[in-house]
Amino acid sequence: MGLLKWGRTKSPWIIHFNTGGCNACDIEVVAALMPRYDIERFGIIIRGSPRHADVLVVTGPVTRQVKDRLVRIYEQVPEPKSVIAVGSCAISGAPFADCYNVYGGIDTVIPVDVYVPGCPPKPEAIINGIVKLIEKLKAG
Amino acid sequence: MVPEGVVALLEILLFPGFLFLIALAFFYEWVDRKLLAKLQNRYGPLYTGPSGLLQPFADFIKLLSKEDITPKAADKFMFSCAPLFLLSFPLLALFLVPVAGLKALISFEGDLIFLMFLFTLIAVTVFIAGWSSVSRFSTVGGVRAAFQMLGYEIPMTLVMVGPAIAARTLSISQIVGWQTHNAAWFIWFQPIGFAIFVLCLLAELEFIPFDIPEAATEIVAGWSTEYSGRKLALIRLGKDVELVLAASLITSLFLGGPNSSLPILAIGFFLLKTTLAVVLLTTLRALFARFRIDQMIAGAWKYVIPLAILQMVLIQLGFGR
Repeated sequence: MGLLKWGRTKSPWIIHFNTGGCNACDIEVVAALMPRYDIERFGIIIRGSPRHADVLVVTGPVTRQVKDRLVRIYEQVPEPKSVIAVGSCAISGAPFADCYNVYGGIDTVIPVDVYVPGCPPKPEAIINGIVKLIEKLKAG
Repeated sequence: MVPEGVVALLEILLFPGFLFLIALAFFYEWVDRKLLAKLQNRYGPLYTGPSGLLQPFADFIKLLSKEDITPKAADKFMFSCAPLFLLSFPLLALFLVPVAGLKALISFEGDLIFLMFLFTLIAVTVFIAGWSSVSRFSTVGGVRAAFQMLGYEIPMTLVMVGPAIAARTLSISQIVGWQTHNAAWFIWFQPIGFAIFVLCLLAELEFIPFDIPEAATEIVAGWSTEYSGRKLALIRLGKDVELVLAASLITSLFLGGPNSSLPILAIGFFLLKTTLAVVLLTTLRALFARFRIDQMIAGAWKYVIPLAILQMVLIQLGFGR
């Protein structure tokens, strides 16, 4: 494994963005960062600015209001970047899929690398998703 | 025999020059992160190298390889220059501090004043970095950094002069020499000065009670919001080198410095004392919550500056040595 790839797999910094979900997934994402699960073990830290991040963690369905902002934030993350969709809403829109103001899942707007199902997914599931992403980075 | 020029070159490039200082910077970032995690009941970096020792290096490599975005509205020249300055100023300042032995790589009468000047330049560069990004968050962060400087700069300068007055010299190497010669550390004579110096270094390093210019929960990432890729890598490395600089200044001015002329012993003492200083800074940063900018400046002018002046008066009355 080359030095570059080693660096990328060992320090994926995340930025967390809620596109209009009910906040349950956000609590689980934060729980994954807290002492009990502590994903800083894998070198993951949460950053405030999209320009510092590698992985965009999105929760919630894409609403009409937030679509432009989501795309804007995605574009501000520097290459190489990846996206994790956390929760049923982020995958398909779930109960909000038919609403007049909802587009659906995240992948209707931006490309998604890893889907983490659940309503909300447990922190273990989110960590599993991150491990899948790291494996994907290793392979590709 | 090895010619003298080669020895000088090796001293500057390898030990105790660039390579050693940068390795030490990465090491102290690891110490800082690991200890902070322990204090918060976490593990901290664990799987990158033994106990996560290589984590700062992995972050650095990753950031170097990432896309480097320059905002369209930014002042491109200053935006690109600021990270270079933010790395080179602390590195240059570290050359003035004795690391192995009693004499620093560069040492002259008055280098303490030069070092204070470099400290101010670092704060001004932070302001320029924020201002030239032309983003509202960066601008607010940069202005806050400049404001914060108005608070901590004066007491820090006053207490840095304290040991200089007591040792009757303005050279850091000779202050260390004085402490070695008299077998006495300035922390015992000037405890108020030591406390104020640590407090002001927390503000200079933007550590938690004074991380007002970064303030991740208020203004995104403060003055560094628009930086990415290589430039962010340089900024982070510069911050780490600044941590080493802060720790080694605490060591030299107040803890006696590497007080041995034997190189091996000296470097051992230096590493031990600077690690203690980093542990002190990290513990303080884990203990406190962030102040508001007005609280910080009001506190600095109401309490810290009078205390620094009190320390100066005590030194003049003969209690400082």
